Amino acid sequence: MPYSITDKCIGCGICKMVCPMEAIEGKRGKVHTIKSDLCIDCDACGKVCPQESVLDNQKNICKRIRFKKYWEKPRIIRKNCMSCTICIDSCPVDCIGWTFTKDTKDKRAYPVLENEKKCIACRFCAIECPVDAIEMVIPGG
Amino acid sequence: MGKGYMGKVLFVNLGTGQFHEEMVPDRIYEKYLSGIGLAAYLLYDRIPTDADPLGPDNILGFMSGLLTGTGSLFTGRWMAAGKSPLTGGWGDSNCGGNLSPAIKRCGYDGILFTGISRKPVYFFMNKSKPELRDASELWGMDAVETEKRLIRKAGLKRAHVACIGPAGEKRSLISGISNDLGRMAARSGLGAVMGSKRLKAVVLGGAKRIKPHDLQMVKKLSRKCNDAVKESPPLLAGIMSARMGSLLRILPAQMITDGKLYISLLDKWGTSSMNQISVEMGDTPIKNWKGTNEDFGLDKSAALSPDAFSDSVFVKYHCYSCPLGCGGICSGKGNVKETHKPEYETVMSLGGLLMNNDPDSIFDLNDILNRAGMDSISAGGTVAFALECYEKGLITKKDTDGLELTWGNAKAIKALIGKMIAREGIGDLLADGSKIAAKKIGHHSLNYSVHAGGQELGMHDSRYDPGFALHNSVEAAPGRHTVGSQLYYEMYQLWKKVKSLPKADIMYSKNTKFVMDKEKTISGAACSKYMNVLNGTGTCLFGAFLGAERLPVFEWLNAATGWNKTPEDYMEIGERIQTLKQMFNIRHGIEPKAFQCSDRAIGRPPLEAGANKGRTVEIEKMMAGYWEEFEWDRRTGKPMPSAIQRLDIP
Repeated sequence: MPYSITDKCIGCGICKMVCPMEAIEGKRGKVHTIKSDLCIDCDACGKVCPQESVLDNQKNICKRIRFKKYWEKPRIIRKNCMSCTICIDSCPVDCIGWTFTKDTKDKRAYPVLENEKKCIACRFCAIECPVDAIEMVIPGG
Repeated sequence: MGKGYMGKVLFVNLGTGQFHEEMVPDRIYEKYLSGIGLAAYLLYDRIPTDADPLGPDNILGFMSGLLTGTGSLFTGRWMAAGKSPLTGGWGDSNCGGNLSPAIKRCGYDGILFTGISRKPVYFFMNKSKPELRDASELWGMDAVETEKRLIRKAGLKRAHVACIGPAGEKRSLISGISNDLGRMAARSGLGAVMGSKRLKAVVLGGAKRIKPHDLQMVKKLSRKCNDAVKESPPLLAGIMSARMGSLLRILPAQMITDGKLYISLLDKWGTSSMNQISVEMGDTPIKNWKGTNEDFGLDKSAALSPDAFSDSVFVKYHCYSCPLGCGGICSGKGNVKETHKPEYETVMSLGGLLMNNDPDSIFDLNDILNRAGMDSISAGGTVAFALECYEKGLITKKDTDGLELTWGNAKAIKALIGKMIAREGIGDLLADGSKIAAKKIGHHSLNYSVHAGGQELGMHDSRYDPGFALHNSVEAAPGRHTVGSQLYYEMYQLWKKVKSLPKADIMYSKNTKFVMDKEKTISGAACSKYMNVLNGTGTCLFGAFLGAERLPVFEWLNAATGWNKTPEDYMEIGERIQTLKQMFNIRHGIEPKAFQCSDRAIGRPPLEAGANKGRTVEIEKMMAGYWEEFEWDRRTGKPMPSAIQRLDIP
């Protein structure tokens, strides 16, 4: 069951801008809809909706988190990390990249949150990581 | 809750520009898995028997694996499949990198191309809609530059690209399909199929979720598997491992091999770890398979030591979902600024096979072949053939435009490969592999082409391990070193999961390897069945070296799909896939016997010196026994109606 939008929607279009899958459609001022075949349950729309008119896949109302700085971000725990690229691939907004140093003996590259602003706190990286090498935390929180 | 697979495939007709989505019923996955099995199911009756592999009727599939993206490890491989222009029968090729999850993230288990486009195009899929876009400006560009250009153009970091280089465009029958900047699905000549369709590239930028049935269970199994990867036994330094190879050669007996050792070697050096030790043991064919380890001794092979390649690695390369990272990105060798580390197969097919021990030339050629999109094994094998023809006077300086094709002449080898890529002069003759070239040259030159069904053999000598001769000869896509052998059977440790399978002996005389008994045909068939399961799930061969207990493919499958199948059930699926691929070949007029590998590779006549002196492989007996094991006719290799019925193949 994908996410959906109730008739509380005022058609402000913020969800449309934040959706990484271009899954939301609707005219300005009109109730928006989510294309079920495209929705990936990332919850980005739910977090930005000023009306709290988005229902998650369990039909619960998504809680708005008004300021993005209070959104959780992935933190990589290197001692657990396998450098397996699963987290990088799981990210729908391309915000995780690689980092490595040419000088050290450890020739592995490790994932790093490259673009904090792009992160939509979908948690997919943490969910998909098989070895618990990613925890979701509110920066400075 | 998902089942690990996406449940549909996309057909793209390049002739009409139409897209057609097809739902795949659950029962098909239960019978054939995804990946290679699903490809065999889809292509079996859709490619007409008279289809020209380079014509519009051939279908080229880009397939992902069932376990890809489910949280399992070592499961990031994708497969190209279609009718091979090189062998005329079933063709498949397999590659790592990050393309496999990208296929599923577009919502499909496979994207299959039919027809021929009028102008060069590339396939693009981002979030929702597939498109065919003009590729005229990319035509002629090398694979690495093509990929970089397409990713830049797409403006998506996450986009993954598979493409062909000039070799595929020129329909070289030994060309492959590149992804992740020069990793290659090289075998079966499927690059030529892509070139014939004027499909330059496939660009995938989807972000769909891949949902397993029980993610927590898949992850639990993955953590255990990762623990096994991390516990690595101590390693010998580079030169010591080479000396160990010499010692192993002298001993009359050998011990069962635990693949954990290989995992440690792969972790430190990648496949290049085998460069010297394999030559010393007698595993590497030398001088177009007529030489021996004595011709390429430690003094010669030292320049190609594992360290010679790993020293220039500045960062390890991990394919998707791989905890090991046997690849590496190198800089500062030869004329190459940045390239994938040459693999053992490439090093030896351009090294020992040609008596070339100049590492810089191998670095350069590895990069040149990756960019051109040409199979380095077949390129090396074909050059070896040409060098021997030159030695025997069947081709002369006049034919080679002045190149002196002498053994180990790195400069001439490089120039010749350049000609093959460009199809210039003698390069045009050699660009389709050694068997086709031999037919054109005539004069017994076929004796110098070492192949199976037209495909050059990998760098593992069947006079050292006869299992390689078997799988080179009996696989539907012949000339394959990545399915099975006696060594692989020991490392797969399948008997720990499938109780009916024989346990490999802990210690045995080397000569017993060459005695063809029932146990060997059972283990050979088991390797093929298991490899179909691995190729149905997108699993890496090197992961399989951990052994079936440490790499829990069967358990991952149950957790990802929600099925409750036994290892025996999965091995039956492997058997079904193998039988269907064989039926594909029969349908396309292939006589299985014709895929028997060249006499030279099986010791006819036997070598007079070196590690494999005096050894001959009883290949006919092995093939007949193997076929019988599958309930195929032991004389012809054709699946019996009873087997087809038992396996419920439509």
